[in-house]
Amino acid sequence: MPHGSVIPAIILIFSLFILKLCIASVASAGGGGNGINVWPKPRIMSWTTQPRANLLSPSFAISSPKHFYLSSAANRYLKLIKNEHHQPLVTPSLINITTSSSSALHTLFITVESLLTPLQHGVNETYTLSIPADASIANLTAHTVWGAMRGLETFSQLVWGKPNLLVASGLYVWDSPLFAHRGLILDTSRNYYGVDDILRTIKAMSFNKMNVFHWHITDSHSFPLVLPSEPDLAAKGSYGHDMQYSPDDVKKIVEFGLTHGVRVLPEIDSPGHTGSWAEAYPEIVTCANKFWWPAESNWTNRLASEPGTGHLNPLNPKTYKILKNVINDVVNLFPEAFYHAGADEIIPGCWKADSTIQSFLSNGGTLSQLLEKFVGSTLPYIVFFNRTVVYWEDVLLDDNVNVRPSFLPKEHTILQTWNNGPNNTKRIIDAGYRAIVSSSEFYYLDCGHGDFLGNDSQYDQLQPSSSANNGGSWCGPFKTWQTIYDYDITYGLSEEEAKMVLGGEVALWSEQADPKVLDVRLWPRTSAMAETLWSGNRDEETGIKRYAQATDRLNEWRYRMVSRGVGAEPIQPLWCLRNPGMCNTVH
Amino acid sequence: MVRSHTSISNVVALIFFLVLLIIPSVQSTTATTIDVWPKPRLLRWAPLHQLSLLSPSFTIASPYDHPHLSSAVSRYLTLIKTEHHLPSSVNNPLTATSSPPPPPSPPLQSLHIFIHRLHAPLHHGVNESYTLHVPNDRPTANLTAETPWGAMRGLETFSQLVWGRPSRVPVGVYVWDDPIFPHRGLLLDTSRNYYGVGDIMRTIYAMSANKMNVFHWHITDSPSFPLNLPSEPGLAAKGSYGDDMQYSPDDVKKIVEFGLDHGVRVIPEIDSPGHTGSWAEAYPEIVTCANMFWWPAESKGEDKLAAEPGTGQLNPLNPKTYQVFKNVISDVVKMFPEPFFHAGADEVTPGCWKTDPTIQSFLSNGGSLSQVLEKFVNETFPYIVSLNRTVIYWEDVLLDGVVKVDSSILDPKYTILQTWNNGPNNTKKIVDAGYRAIVSSADYYYLDCGHGGFLGNDSQYDQLVGSDTVSNGGSWCAPFKTWQTIYNYDITYGLSEEKATLVLGGEVALWSEQADPTVLDSRLWPRASAMAEALWSGNRDETGKKRYAEATDRLNEWRHRMVSRGIGAEPIQPLWCVRNPGMCNAVHASI
Repeated sequence: MPHGSVIPAIILIFSLFILKLCIASVASAGGGGNGINVWPKPRIMSWTTQPRANLLSPSFAISSPKHFYLSSAANRYLKLIKNEHHQPLVTPSLINITTSSSSALHTLFITVESLLTPLQHGVNETYTLSIPADASIANLTAHTVWGAMRGLETFSQLVWGKPNLLVASGLYVWDSPLFAHRGLILDTSRNYYGVDDILRTIKAMSFNKMNVFHWHITDSHSFPLVLPSEPDLAAKGSYGHDMQYSPDDVKKIVEFGLTHGVRVLPEIDSPGHTGSWAEAYPEIVTCANKFWWPAESNWTNRLASEPGTGHLNPLNPKTYKILKNVINDVVNLFPEAFYHAGADEIIPGCWKADSTIQSFLSNGGTLSQLLEKFVGSTLPYIVFFNRTVVYWEDVLLDDNVNVRPSFLPKEHTILQTWNNGPNNTKRIIDAGYRAIVSSSEFYYLDCGHGDFLGNDSQYDQLQPSSSANNGGSWCGPFKTWQTIYDYDITYGLSEEEAKMVLGGEVALWSEQADPKVLDVRLWPRTSAMAETLWSGNRDEETGIKRYAQATDRLNEWRYRMVSRGVGAEPIQPLWCLRNPGMCNTVH
Repeated sequence: MVRSHTSISNVVALIFFLVLLIIPSVQSTTATTIDVWPKPRLLRWAPLHQLSLLSPSFTIASPYDHPHLSSAVSRYLTLIKTEHHLPSSVNNPLTATSSPPPPPSPPLQSLHIFIHRLHAPLHHGVNESYTLHVPNDRPTANLTAETPWGAMRGLETFSQLVWGRPSRVPVGVYVWDDPIFPHRGLLLDTSRNYYGVGDIMRTIYAMSANKMNVFHWHITDSPSFPLNLPSEPGLAAKGSYGDDMQYSPDDVKKIVEFGLDHGVRVIPEIDSPGHTGSWAEAYPEIVTCANMFWWPAESKGEDKLAAEPGTGQLNPLNPKTYQVFKNVISDVVKMFPEPFFHAGADEVTPGCWKTDPTIQSFLSNGGSLSQVLEKFVNETFPYIVSLNRTVIYWEDVLLDGVVKVDSSILDPKYTILQTWNNGPNNTKKIVDAGYRAIVSSADYYYLDCGHGGFLGNDSQYDQLVGSDTVSNGGSWCAPFKTWQTIYNYDITYGLSEEKATLVLGGEVALWSEQADPTVLDSRLWPRASAMAEALWSGNRDETGKKRYAEATDRLNEWRHRMVSRGIGAEPIQPLWCVRNPGMCNAVHASI
């Protein structure tokens, strides 16, 4: 027993000695501040004394109010904090390390004002974290349990060291997100992802203080969601029994989201992108299983915007019978108050392939009327379940097939933009709707990896021109983390208009993504949006874009995410981290 | 008890399988093919398209005492018996039965290997041809090869023919195969970021599955010097990223042996005189401009100290340079049996040498930078050649616009030049100058491109919103090279038949500014597979048309098989496309 305490003391003295040596060697390094960083950068993080670090007591505990989800989060963070032993690639250049174990930090005390506030859009995520110098207690105060979770994440990032844990001290953090909606879309229809892949993604989102997992569950390629009222949709429309999400899987994902402060927002795309429904109900889907763009036909006569055809038929009453069963089940499975109903990319050629629609059109009807019929029959039903409906912008802004605003009550409708950058955001706001920004020019994470179409003649070129431009895909080039970080989602809007922008979502469409590349496609680029939407992309004092100083911080954060089990891609050689500033460009 | 139980279950499985064969196919199969990647030069499957079960006691008979071949045989035997590959496509001709159902053949009992020249070493140009015959009337298949290395290629082909549970194999199959290009390589940069020995071995393993034969190991560069050398231990001790990010002599031995077991040569590159900043940690006196900011503010592009962050060039005017350098070469030659030695010589940057006072005075006395480089090459090239090595240099040594040597000091007999700039133009310049060429065109074969720049504080990103004008994904060699771009590249474009023989082959390259073990597999595969097929059997069909169109489905299938073999290759299409062959094609000229 006696040497049990002697050895740690020796290790401690030795490690502090090493630490001091390291400090001496990097103290002059500029750019990254003192090396104590939190991603996304808090709104206010100030030192009440000279920057210092305190020991984290081996018996450190988190005192949390009793709350089903917060208690779970507190346990999780306690484990992370005690086991992570993050070793910064650049040693924090602190002035003082408190070595006395008598003043080690023993407790993080959490106070929550309103324990009952549910996790929903606009919930208060503000927190303050105070870690006094040389004190044994730190305080985390938040309005809601969800804000407390954000503060726990911040605290976890302030702890490092091996074998002894150190925690930044003499520190005050006030934090609150600029945008309420900070999301990520994953498409689980084009390729399937296991439940664990989704859970790992939600976990990584919570590390980055993101709060909306937009689950694009179904599309033309597969229907992986098992619904109690419509079991055939998945039984026949999924990629196979091993590539489905059962109601229990969904429950697990939703609960996991709640313990991580991440809302799970389901999207059942319709009336387009529904080819997979035809496996169970061929009668309600037009143009299903056809070749997407027949030879000799014009682009305007294509049947789908990409391979995988099929639209729900708004003129068939059975369509609504099935769809209402689907909506009913989905609403039961997902407590989330937003429901994404899709409505993107209605392709005229697909509806025109149907004979009842043909006769409707030849009697003077229009495709837009068809869409209005569909929206008019479904939106009220969704709203009836106390859901706010999110649609893709196309429902209003598409050139050919769109509905009149009267079909989209503004209090129940949010439009998600993906085309034309800031222009369409403005059009949505100007029309009086709230907007979620997923501009494909900035936020689409799948772009730039070449096209997935087979036999594509753009690649068949005479030498020596490598002119398959932009990486070949429609939304190429690859969106770099800098492109994402620098995007101002309220660009060109008045202050009043900007309030209608709820936030943004990066998107991973899965034509060329599956579990093999999930983490590398998402991270750390998603972290770039997470910081911009949390605390902005500009220096608080100068107003200048701060991506330059963000590079070193993001690089460090990438390594920390990797050690936490998130396979984020590297953004620089290790050498750049070891030599801060040396990989910059000054031209 | 156990034994009889086993045989009963085999019989049941066999009966079940035969029933499967008799069930008429849902869809008639038109173009029935067997997919092997890279596609063999010649593959014939007798018109009945028969399948046999692979006998549970299937063996590979190789009567030869050859350690590397024996290792490969036992490896493939395990793979063949345990892989049970299930084609992703339910419409795969192998899983659907053709109509009328073919008569069953007896289970295949063994594969016999015949080799003519057992002791041919794994060198450039070694004969890799093989013939594989899986008859439909005997339970024995034959694999005949000139060399053990050709036999390994044939084993890979055979392994790809086997699929299903229970395992079955097409019979009545004859394959003749032989690579078009003898040099089919992959370059990995282990200096900018470190890769573990396991990562390198997995890469070599994946290369062998694609019949690639050269692992070009760009071991050292300015960011780190991970190679632990017995004569110069200070270089890695001080110049590596850390004790846990080095390659010991035992690691190298393991990698070289692993390469031999897989028919993959391991060519070391010790880049010099440029790209040597990491040497300065141990020997600051032999490195000019080390640890300086790469492109100082207010200076012009031509005064840069390095092509990218990480400065440092060996000083050709310091005699100690050669003392250290020769120790390095001597050690490397001992560690790597490979007769090719890559000596680098790319991107010699004038600004770096000009910071050194001795070089300054040499220049002010009428000397030129090219003379400085010639001095370096003259001191080192003959030494490497004296150790029985052919020297590979990057094309820059001859083609650089500013600093280059006279071709008279590079004997074409001992020199190969590797091209990376200007696509086919520089390949032509190299062969026109009489040198053999290895093609690594950055426009086609650089796998790291298109992931954005890695420089910090880069003003190209500071733009008004609304204009996403960082074109091409931001990095210097963007855009991302798609598998189609790689597949379609003709590395001998514009050369006469005579000159084309000087092109030894090609190498895809993964530079590691933005790559490390977390992304290694997804950056390499299946794009390296695209080059592997183009260099093995070409990128055109019998009619002379580019065959990337029909390659899509095959590559997709091969990607899924590589994933199940433990290689994290990235997806190229939704699974739906594999399940619905042809439906994801484009039939129009452009979109």
